[in-house]
Amino acid sequence: MLKTKTAPSLRDVAPKAFASLKLAADEPIAYLENWKRETGGRVIGTFPMNFPVELAHAAGLHPAIVQESQTPITEGRGLLPEFYCSYSRSVADQAATGELDVFDAFVLADHCVQLLGAIDVVRWAKPETPNHFAQFISSMDDPWSAGQVRDKIDALRTELEEVSGAKIHPDSVSRSIALYNTDRELLREIFSARRDRSVRIPASELQALIKSSMVMDIEDHIRLLRALIPSLGELETEKPPVPVHLSGHFCAPVKPELLDTIEDAGVIAVDDDLYHGWRLIATDVPEDEDPFDALAQWYLDRNKSAPCATRVQRNVDWDDYLIDGLQTTGAVGVIVLMAKFCEPLMLYYPELRKALEEREVPVLMIETEHEGVPAESIRTRVEAFVERVSQTRAMPNSNHITAQQEVDNA
Amino acid sequence: MWHTLGVDLGSTTAKAVVVAPDGRPVSSSIVQMGAVSKKGVERAIAAALEDGGLTRGDIVRTVSTGYGRRLVELADRSFTEISCHARGAVAMMPGVRLVIDIGGQDSKAIAIGQDGLLDRFAINDRCASGTGRFFDVLSRALEVEVTDISDLAAATSHEAEVSGMCATFAETEVISLLAQDVAPADISAAVMRSVASRTVGLVAQVRKNTPVVMTGGVAQNASFVAELSRQLDLSIGHLDEPQIAGALGAALIARDDYLSTVPDDERMQTEWDRQRSGSPIESCQDCDGAAGDDRGPVPVTLMPTVTRV
Amino acid sequence: MPETIELSPTVVKPRGKDQKPDKSNRLTSTRAGGKMVSDYWENIFTAKERGKQVVWYNGSALNPIFQAAGLEWCHGEAFSARLAAMHMEGPAQQAGEEYGYVNELCSYARTHLGCAVLTQQGASEKQSGIVGFADQQELATKLPSPDFFVNAYAGCSTGQQWDAMTYRVFGKELPMFNVSLPMIWGNKPDSGYLRGKEWEKTPLFVVEQLKELIKFIEYQTKKPFDWDALSENMSYIKRASELRLEAMALCAAAPTPATYWDWVASIAPINFMPANQALVDYFQGVKDEIEQRLRDGVSAVANERYRVYFDGIMNWNKLGFLTRKFAEYDVSVVAGRYTHDSFWQEPQLIDPENPLLGMAQHYLICPINHGLKIMEELLLKRCDDFGIDGIAFHSTRTCRAMTNPQQILARIAEEKRGIKSFSFEGDVADAAFYKDETLESGLVAMLETIDQQRARM
Repeated sequence: MLKTKTAPSLRDVAPKAFASLKLAADEPIAYLENWKRETGGRVIGTFPMNFPVELAHAAGLHPAIVQESQTPITEGRGLLPEFYCSYSRSVADQAATGELDVFDAFVLADHCVQLLGAIDVVRWAKPETPNHFAQFISSMDDPWSAGQVRDKIDALRTELEEVSGAKIHPDSVSRSIALYNTDRELLREIFSARRDRSVRIPASELQALIKSSMVMDIEDHIRLLRALIPSLGELETEKPPVPVHLSGHFCAPVKPELLDTIEDAGVIAVDDDLYHGWRLIATDVPEDEDPFDALAQWYLDRNKSAPCATRVQRNVDWDDYLIDGLQTTGAVGVIVLMAKFCEPLMLYYPELRKALEEREVPVLMIETEHEGVPAESIRTRVEAFVERVSQTRAMPNSNHITAQQEVDNA
Repeated sequence: MWHTLGVDLGSTTAKAVVVAPDGRPVSSSIVQMGAVSKKGVERAIAAALEDGGLTRGDIVRTVSTGYGRRLVELADRSFTEISCHARGAVAMMPGVRLVIDIGGQDSKAIAIGQDGLLDRFAINDRCASGTGRFFDVLSRALEVEVTDISDLAAATSHEAEVSGMCATFAETEVISLLAQDVAPADISAAVMRSVASRTVGLVAQVRKNTPVVMTGGVAQNASFVAELSRQLDLSIGHLDEPQIAGALGAALIARDDYLSTVPDDERMQTEWDRQRSGSPIESCQDCDGAAGDDRGPVPVTLMPTVTRV
Repeated sequence: MPETIELSPTVVKPRGKDQKPDKSNRLTSTRAGGKMVSDYWENIFTAKERGKQVVWYNGSALNPIFQAAGLEWCHGEAFSARLAAMHMEGPAQQAGEEYGYVNELCSYARTHLGCAVLTQQGASEKQSGIVGFADQQELATKLPSPDFFVNAYAGCSTGQQWDAMTYRVFGKELPMFNVSLPMIWGNKPDSGYLRGKEWEKTPLFVVEQLKELIKFIEYQTKKPFDWDALSENMSYIKRASELRLEAMALCAAAPTPATYWDWVASIAPINFMPANQALVDYFQGVKDEIEQRLRDGVSAVANERYRVYFDGIMNWNKLGFLTRKFAEYDVSVVAGRYTHDSFWQEPQLIDPENPLLGMAQHYLICPINHGLKIMEELLLKRCDDFGIDGIAFHSTRTCRAMTNPQQILARIAEEKRGIKSFSFEGDVADAAFYKDETLESGLVAMLETIDQQRARM
């Protein structure tokens, strides 16, 4: 039996705060049901990856991003075929099995063909629940892009007012924006500590912090993060064996056990651009302008601060962003996590691979599925990747430096 | 004299190779098993040692690889089959740039750099399409020995088609073709084409390059190698013992590992002995041996990725 | 219900030894379309030699605009479909896979991106790498390099992302124009096919973009846009479309004189052939043949016993095969979403004098750009119009846009009309995904269910 040395992690140094966050991340529906019971409030389900939750919050609703369920897909099999990404299949399944009953309305802004297939299942299964699509333009740099998004913010405002039964006041939007910016800022502080390697935090734990922010009452989330941050100093600062960047995986979180398997196989993530990671928190909403304009601007800014394959923008490149990131963090390889059947990532991956290989940065692509983690196969790939990263060329007449020495000297 | 041992514990066979200090293989063994088995490993190791007239005391370093690499208690370290097949194939055919390994459990395409080191790799996904399992499915459905499939396919006269997307589904397809009175030879050839096309896809992921060799048991299936060669439009180099490539690679990595721990003088002496012996393993075809020539493999040092507790 | 008329059985053509007789009877007039399309591509392949500017585009039928601007136009999906129909998709797909595209990606996209990779590579490089076979290269590498790209993809998000990648394969050195086509979500009480506030408002946004597109083209071609030519093109398209729809309507007759497969063969002409008198003549020819068949009592399938609707995009590798396969079971595939709810299917919307609005509207009624409510409306209407007994859902492995609503539509058709259906897996341009077993067993099971349904009645 093999085992890696267990380093102290958030669950050890801030057990109480982390447990609350982890619980919401692991059981989002249970959290929302409980929240409704306690507050009598209404929950609005939003879908990844670009919905401005601040607007729903300002409408007096509790916005929560609908998550992929951990339960096996049953009835959903008869509604969306198996060749859809795990997130859309899970959403369809949850709609069919009643798991989404906790939501009082649904809203989305992203045009993804598979997601829309899942939303049609939601509409069909829950015909009485309001379901609004404010389709934000995905071509980001056309002369009409900004105007189109601004129009959709207005349409969204009208829809949300209809759902909540009250007008959305600009001051409320500003207050919501400030809250969510605060939450993002706190999360970025934690991510930065990992990035500059002043602390070592398992990727699966960081994911719990992000995922809980998608589900929890935002003020509670801020309170818990503030309780947790002072404990960061107690975490280990040991240099990781092989620092890598985790890239890809939109919409749904990578299974925590997969992240653990990867990090147990000889690498540690020092940075990422995952949606359930840095991508979610990379961009704040401007606070010094009209709040409705600011939300439209936030959407346009997001693809610049963390470029995404789901958006089309001629002057922004995910590959450049990734390479710049590697230079900053010192990550020596990239692991691309691809939800099987995710078309935007399938389309962009060759460009990422090409750019990385041109710079001799090793890249490993791992496909993920809803149905479990093939741990042994993943371990083999990651170990081979580490072997690839670590092999050195003992050229004749040259000093014989081992990979371990190189790492030690790093 | 010290030796090192490589053990490759696959899903259906255990292989062991012993190499001498100069890197030359001294002995090898292949043991068929029903499933991953520690006993199989023990038998393979014992056979290899006996064959080489050695005892366990002669082995200074052991590296395990393969699907069951963690089960090899004797091993000092373990490495993935990717690194080991790459290392073994380069040793067996110096200058090779692409290694295709089709095993019982999965299949891999491994690109080797100009320096003889692992560059890129691709492994088939979790489904068994394009693996050796496909041939097991075929032999079961056709009620012939898996070793006879190659000859059977060579006798094809008409074109049949199987989709090849899934090993389980392929069985249904094969049975259906039999029900339609399609000749077993034509079905076998169709399965060859299907597995080969999956393999071409795998190769595409690491990009085609030459020279190319196949390792693993399926490399002994001449009809399949011919079909794959046709689809790739490349000739595929022949290895006498493609099944032991992983174990040989493991043994050579064990040798590198051991050498990295011995004093410099001793290491230099061993290297000098190796060069004088003209060992085929480390000297390269078409290489004049001049420093800086990038055509040949060079000793590699790998860091451990697995810590044993 | 359709009018029922007495027709004599179609002549059953004997086939080779060991093969079942072919009970299908395809239109002969569509062969002219085959030649028209073949000539069109041959012409495209020489565009550079003729000093023409070439636009690569995907999605909507913008070709009347390109034609008016004097450009040569290459429709990406159309070229992928053509390669697949000629069983020559292999090298492009391998080039795509070698470049890194996973085989679960839209096979139109990866075939076309493979072509882009091949086109972009120098001729010398074509001799190395996986795509080394001279015969395979023949077609895939003939596409002339683009001078610029235009994307106008409705319904499928992959469509827009695909061209963003083609743009990158060509090193980001060529201009690209995106027309963004919003989904017709159809969730309001007043929403429906061609009605409601959403329908009235959305095309206006598209019209404004088309105006910008024309300015962009003027800049690329360095000459003023010929609006008269556009009007003329649209008048030809309007007439061709009217003839196509009139001919399709004649197929409400049972047994049907023409099938879905004939309409599939007519997709290329209506979708991207030059708008001219030849196009009108083609559809006049098709309509004439169908009328003649009705007069002569000739049916498209010998002994039609079942009338089936085909939902899903075409499996281009299998056109002839599927035509025979369905006919073998006395099934007439009478209509389909891909053929009947696409391709200038509402000609009354086209005003040749003021063509942009009608064009924008057509780009939005692409059959993958509707929400579920409108899809249901369209499906039930087609089933009623053509007296449909059953539905074949082509669960199209790499085309989620077409596959999206299918399983719900199957339930709706059963609930609201008692229409049975089955689903089989295949793909637009990747034959590896086609599973004959699921088609055969699903089709037979559906027909048996229909038999039992009829026995009860």
